[in-house]
Amino acid sequence: MAEKACTAPTRPQSCDLCAVREHSICADLGPREFAQVEKTMARRHVDRGKAIMAEGEPNDSLYVVVDGSFRLSKILEDGRRQVTGFLFPGDFAGVRATGSNAYTAEALEQSTVCFFPHKFLEDVAADAPGVKDRLIARGQTEYHKAQDHIVLLGKKTAEERVISFIYLVDRAVGADAGPGKRRVPLPMPRQDIADYLGLRLETLSRTLTALKRDGRLYDLTRHEVIIAAGPDRI
Amino acid sequence: MKPEWRKYLAARAPRYTSYPSALHFDSSVSREDYADRLSAVELYEPLSLYVHVPFCKKLCWYCGCNMRVENDYSRALRYVSALAKEISLVGGRLAGAGRPRSVHFGGGTPNYLLVDEIADILQAIELEFGLTDDARLAIELDPRLIRDDDINRLADLGFERMSLGVQDFDHEVQLAINRVQSFDMIESAVGEMRRAGVNDISFDLLYGLPKQTLGAFKESLEKTLALAPDRVAVFGYAHLPSALPRQRLIDSESLPGADLRVDLAELADEMLIAAGYRRIGFDHYAKPDNPLAVADREGRLRRNFQGFTDDLAVTTLGFGASAISSVNGLHVQNEKSLTGYYDDIAAGRLPVARGIELTATEIAIAGVIQDLLCKGSANIAPVLAAVAPGEAVEICARLDMLEADGLISWGGNIVLIEAEARPLSRCVAMALDPYEFPHKSKPSVSLARAI
Repeated sequence: MAEKACTAPTRPQSCDLCAVREHSICADLGPREFAQVEKTMARRHVDRGKAIMAEGEPNDSLYVVVDGSFRLSKILEDGRRQVTGFLFPGDFAGVRATGSNAYTAEALEQSTVCFFPHKFLEDVAADAPGVKDRLIARGQTEYHKAQDHIVLLGKKTAEERVISFIYLVDRAVGADAGPGKRRVPLPMPRQDIADYLGLRLETLSRTLTALKRDGRLYDLTRHEVIIAAGPDRI
Repeated sequence: MKPEWRKYLAARAPRYTSYPSALHFDSSVSREDYADRLSAVELYEPLSLYVHVPFCKKLCWYCGCNMRVENDYSRALRYVSALAKEISLVGGRLAGAGRPRSVHFGGGTPNYLLVDEIADILQAIELEFGLTDDARLAIELDPRLIRDDDINRLADLGFERMSLGVQDFDHEVQLAINRVQSFDMIESAVGEMRRAGVNDISFDLLYGLPKQTLGAFKESLEKTLALAPDRVAVFGYAHLPSALPRQRLIDSESLPGADLRVDLAELADEMLIAAGYRRIGFDHYAKPDNPLAVADREGRLRRNFQGFTDDLAVTTLGFGASAISSVNGLHVQNEKSLTGYYDDIAAGRLPVARGIELTATEIAIAGVIQDLLCKGSANIAPVLAAVAPGEAVEICARLDMLEADGLISWGGNIVLIEAEARPLSRCVAMALDPYEFPHKSKPSVSLARAI
């Protein structure tokens, strides 16, 4: 079982500097709601390997990833762990309060989350109907992650799966890296990528190496890949 | 064995690797039914995959499997390419759903295929269904066909469980079944496996073979123990020459009688238990730290088409001629003949020939039989509730007879098979099986003896 993070929450001075604000839950809040958010939400640092949500345990907060990344996983009926997705800045976890989380969310690196107790969200919703729906419709939640995953697993070559995965991460956290280039961080271990893509580690490594050799990846290191910008670029 | 149990030895009992067994499959189930069930498989549903390789170099006269002797390797290549197409047909239906947790290569002789072909099949599975490093790969091997470096290459592919068809080490017995393989050959295969880091080696032994004697079988068991396999399966040879013509090559006169069969089975049991193996179900033995033994200790043992297993996947997908699949209450079997199988694959059809859709009653019976065989006890209330009242009375009457003979005891609705009677588990299971009663006036010619 993943170790639960227990860093004391710190309340931000202001949300003004929040890097993800424009594509987070808060972007949909009016000034009055926003003032309440500032009073009620909390920000927490999560160390690498620590969990914000653990499978089977209760959860009463909505989390927004502000910085860093998380691995979503669940234990299947047969006792094995399945990597079901990754969370990046702007993504949500814990969309509903539950007595038993369906999955575990562990930090892949030093990360930061904001969290909102569901009880508070309901209070806000009473004043401003539809806030919860708007936020769920807007961001990437665990349900979107499941959609992403089945699309990836339905692809019939290792190369397609790997390329689609790189695009997926690029859309979430890719950044320009000079003219015509994008830097795509890969904060997760290769084994997690392989498990997520339904590939054996060796197949993943072989596929990445071949893409690099053919010049379709400009560069490939343990924690990032450099690709061309633009559509159909790998 | 208690004298009052002898009458059960002559009973012909299904192996119950599925319920209902494949004998009751018919053409009422179509490939469309199978396709529908495949489409309903859930995103991360654990899958257990089976790949059937129906080729052998030589004919073993005892064999009851779907196989053919083949000397032209190009025919095997044709089969491998058909397998890849079948895997892709099923993969199209799953569309990314389901995750293989184990892949078992059986036969016939899987290592009739060269390692390159086996790697190709695994790759097709990886691309169609996803195959991760924690999936368990197992393969049955004919020691006579193991080529230089095969074991290392199979281990590199990720096979961590290897099963050797030993049957019996005695040369006279080997001649009588047309499967001659020296102790040195098996010993060197085991050595290679150990050096390659394979720590789940399984031997299949057979009792009830022609020319078997207690003395010689004891030596075979000593040789088995000397090689210290991690698991041993001890199966009773089923002599059914009218259903399996190739078995007519075996001289019926040289087969051990019912009493000797029991003595051989008991000798194997005593020696394996004395050597520290744990008894698993009614015909498997495993070292205490083997995953099968751990599963048994923790009450997780299951029975699937391959026998007793620690594989928890309920959904089984079989590939190749005659392979059986089970998805959410539907069992189907592929075309048995290669011609029929190839025709379907060429036409882009799932090669389903027959099957059965389980009724609610059959699902209840299947669950109770699973518990009886795997745990030695079962709560039979679900079956009594599911069957017609008259049938429930008959089931109870049959169980009362088993109780009177001391095979089972009762605790409320729980039927407990006595430890000594575990080898007769299938007879207890049969008491709950409407297929075996009431229309059973004479022993079936297609079922094996209980022991």
